[in-house]
Amino acid sequence: MRNTTPKDIGSINFGLMEPEEYREMSATKIITADTYDDDGFPIDMGLMDPRLGVIDPGLECKTCGQHSGSCPGHFGHIELAAPVIHVGFTKLIRRLLRGTCRECSRLLLTEDEKEEFRQQIDQSRKLGRDVNDVTKAAIRQARKKDRCPHCGEIQYDIEHEKPTTYYEVQQVLTSEYSQRIAAAMQGGEDGERTTPDELAEETEIDLTRINEILSGSFRPRESQRKAIEKALDIDLTEEDTNKLMPSDIRDWFEAIPDEDVEALGIDAERSRPEWMILTVLPVPPVTARPSITLDNGQRSEDDLTHKLVDIIRINQRFMENREAGAPQLIIEDLWELLQYHVTTFMDNEISGTPPARHRSGRPLKTLSQRLKGKEGRFRGSLSGKRVNFSARTVISPDPTLSLNEVGVPDRVAKEMTQTMNVTERNVADARRYVSNGPEAHPGANYVRRPDGRRLKVTEKNCEELAKKIEPGWEVNRHLIDGDIVIFNRQPSLHRMSIMAHEVVVMPYKTFRLNTVVCPPYNADFDGDEMNMHALQNEEARAEARVLMRVQEQILSPRFGENIIGAIQDHISGTYLLTHDNPRFNETQALDLLRATRIDELPEPSGIDDEGEPFWTGRDVFSELLPDDLNLEFTGTVGDDVVIEDGQLLEGTIAEDEVGEFGGKIVDTITKVYGNTRARIFINEVSTLAMRAIMHFGFSIGIDDETIPEEAESRIDETIDDAYDRVEELIEAYERGELESLPGRTIDETLEMKIMQTLSRARDNAGNIAEEHFTEDNPAVVMANSGARGSMLNLTQMAGAVGQQAVRGERINRGYEDRTLSHYKPDDLSAEAHGFVENSYTSGLTPREFFFHAMGGREGLVDTAVRTSKSGYLQRRLINALSELETQYDGTVRDTSDTIVQFEFGEDGTSPVMVSSSEEGDVDVEQIADRILESEFDSEAEKEEFLGSKPEPTNLSEHADSRRIAEDVEVTSDD
Amino acid sequence: MVDVSQHELVPEHTVLEEDELEDVLAEYDIDRTDLPKIKRTDPALPDEAEIGDVIEIVRDSRTTDQAVVYRLVVD
Ligand SMILES: [Mg+2]
Ligand SMILES: [Zn+2]
Ligand SMILES: [Zn+2]
Repeated sequence: MRNTTPKDIGSINFGLMEPEEYREMSATKIITADTYDDDGFPIDMGLMDPRLGVIDPGLECKTCGQHSGSCPGHFGHIELAAPVIHVGFTKLIRRLLRGTCRECSRLLLTEDEKEEFRQQIDQSRKLGRDVNDVTKAAIRQARKKDRCPHCGEIQYDIEHEKPTTYYEVQQVLTSEYSQRIAAAMQGGEDGERTTPDELAEETEIDLTRINEILSGSFRPRESQRKAIEKALDIDLTEEDTNKLMPSDIRDWFEAIPDEDVEALGIDAERSRPEWMILTVLPVPPVTARPSITLDNGQRSEDDLTHKLVDIIRINQRFMENREAGAPQLIIEDLWELLQYHVTTFMDNEISGTPPARHRSGRPLKTLSQRLKGKEGRFRGSLSGKRVNFSARTVISPDPTLSLNEVGVPDRVAKEMTQTMNVTERNVADARRYVSNGPEAHPGANYVRRPDGRRLKVTEKNCEELAKKIEPGWEVNRHLIDGDIVIFNRQPSLHRMSIMAHEVVVMPYKTFRLNTVVCPPYNADFDGDEMNMHALQNEEARAEARVLMRVQEQILSPRFGENIIGAIQDHISGTYLLTHDNPRFNETQALDLLRATRIDELPEPSGIDDEGEPFWTGRDVFSELLPDDLNLEFTGTVGDDVVIEDGQLLEGTIAEDEVGEFGGKIVDTITKVYGNTRARIFINEVSTLAMRAIMHFGFSIGIDDETIPEEAESRIDETIDDAYDRVEELIEAYERGELESLPGRTIDETLEMKIMQTLSRARDNAGNIAEEHFTEDNPAVVMANSGARGSMLNLTQMAGAVGQQAVRGERINRGYEDRTLSHYKPDDLSAEAHGFVENSYTSGLTPREFFFHAMGGREGLVDTAVRTSKSGYLQRRLINALSELETQYDGTVRDTSDTIVQFEFGEDGTSPVMVSSSEEGDVDVEQIADRILESEFDSEAEKEEFLGSKPEPTNLSEHADSRRIAEDVEVTSDD
Repeated sequence: MVDVSQHELVPEHTVLEEDELEDVLAEYDIDRTDLPKIKRTDPALPDEAEIGDVIEIVRDSRTTDQAVVYRLVVD
């Protein structure tokens, strides 16, 4: 298999196949519907003819001589007894029937019109537009012609009855013309009567003729019919439909000249229109429809084979009947049946046609169904495949891992292998892996000898095999610590959903990951599962390590700031550590820093009253910062964060400082000191924060949200107040005294005012509750630091839950004129429309609970709808963008080389390197200063490089003055 | 009628001279029809622009000061 040279595809052409081509590529004609004889051998010229390819191992293909696996299979063909329409082209057939002459088959356009459309097609092709728009317009224009501009024949309407029947519709004289004329001459209820004399005069037809017509003994000619119709204002026609058989259509199409076909954008050389009517049906090779042997020895055939059996049976009956001279009606029935089977063979999900079914009632999966949809050939087998060396299991957190690492269960590590090319340098390792066998952890599962033979490593042969390993062998060893793997969580919505991690082999059954990588994956540990892929060649491993490792993804291309950073308890931890700048003794300080690189404490921050040295929280935190970091900004809590020379002098470290989405310090370290330093910083901040939060102790319970009785009664008062005001509003409304707001009706005004009043009441309740929470309340700490939750959550827990809303309004649905049967009709009060005055702590009343559930349900439905909508949108967007590529000249082009952007992103910059937030401007001067600082040891060297102070030379005493002169004169030869 | 070309969010649209156009096409090694398109009816177009003309659009850019783009006028 390896000796095939790679081929380059020059171009691909799509077109129709000529019947003769089907016959030429056919290995055999198929004439019998049977598959196997009684002995189980395939019948010659049957559907399983051995010339169509082999599927049974050991047998030889009668066409190509190869065995199953290497024989690609070969097409056969069925000679159809009568032509049938190809379902895939029904629309095009309809268009051609409508656009060409029924007599001479030429396009119903004058030469000039034809030329114009031909030019339009050329133009469309050049501009990359849809050629169909032009051809549709051409057909539309051709249809307008009543007569053929070439032969003068009258053209009729073509009606298409889905899926595959076409009629010609003619307007002919109705058989009841005499009655209709007589009725019209009688006049309607108020109409005037018309005498035959008057009619004859008006229509200029002989009176005797008129009488003959009225008696029904003479059929008026077309001109006479029109005259009578006009005179009496009636319609004397009826539709006469004439079915077009596939053979008629084929004859019609055969006569269309090539140049007319080309004017419709079809390449006549490759696709003659008559080839859309099948006379020969290709039979797919058996390799495309293998039969399977069931446990009981019975053979079960593929759906396609079943369908082909039906086609052959009907085909035979058709021929027999025709030869026996059966009546036309029977022939037509059989023809339709043949059409049905050929149609469903190609597409079994045609609207208006009952799908062909299996004996069990299951609809058959025919050609179209194999290709279409999510599980179809394209989306299911080509764009997405199942792969080896992949694993999936539940994830759980492990804060001791680096963010670059992933904990891999040992049982997974023993399945996923890496190929080692044995050399002199690693032969000892290779032997050790093999001698461990497949069961013990750093072992091996397979080896490959230099001659290409693959051997399985077993418990029995491992010792023996290990001794034989020499350079030149390949060993498939288990995953070990430090191997690089790809890790992924669905839905993979952005590039950080798939990142490379280094393996740490661990006991138990879950993948372990550091909690700081949860945001990019959007992972939590409530049962989430993730996938792992072991890389199988050196190039892939190198690429993954350089481009995909987690630390390379710290900055998000979405907004150009860090997406990885401290989360949740880390933030609470750094907040507790730095907010009040607490003091720690030596033991405590060392304990805080025990999981970091710091193993020696800095100079103490001071000496306390007992004479013991202490270290402050900010000083401990500063140990993690790069020594020359300088930063000053307004922090999460509103205070100024000041970092000078790597020392946190002032400020609280919380979300905006080290958090996940654009934490200033993390962001700066990543951009200034690089990804590796940022990885170290994030790892250390998270471990320090964990030690800090454990030092202080951090927990939350129901008591933390409970407020004194006095406060509760104050809240009750506020809410009662609000109720009174709502009541006043309603009374004013009922008295008609309420003034409407500009652009609002009175009803809307009332609703808005009530909502306003009630939301103020909720806020007031919250404020009262807040007064009773101290700064060290854990819920307050979390809200203030940005670790989790907000003051609103706290308000709802301690104060009042507040107004429940559906579609942005108070709750109005339910019964007629009221929300629940507990209220009077048209009750506008707060409680009747979903105001929850209780807090989550005090508990909701049943009615409040019900309204709350209504509001909650809306949220759930919204998210469900949003995810499915945005998922589809994303799929469309990705498919549209997937072929765009940035070229070496900086342009972005699609596969046909048309330019999409003249410069990537219209500025040629990477969104990872340039923050998209307005204040995130790149300070070029600061960067230049920093680089110069690190590049040159002395100020003098730097000056020299910058050329601001030229070094004096000893070449000439006049050198200096000459140089100054040169500077003045800009013109120079070089 | 509002003249959108005077609006601060509408960048400068000018018809490209034939010799400048040739330079552009040569620089990117493309045919005129490989350029992005703009409709003749686009209100941002200058009045003299005709089908087949190429328009130069100069946008302000936060990162590169100015971003230049070319478009072919189509019907
Ligand atoms: Mg989850
Ligand atoms: Zn073969
Ligand atoms: Zn004709």
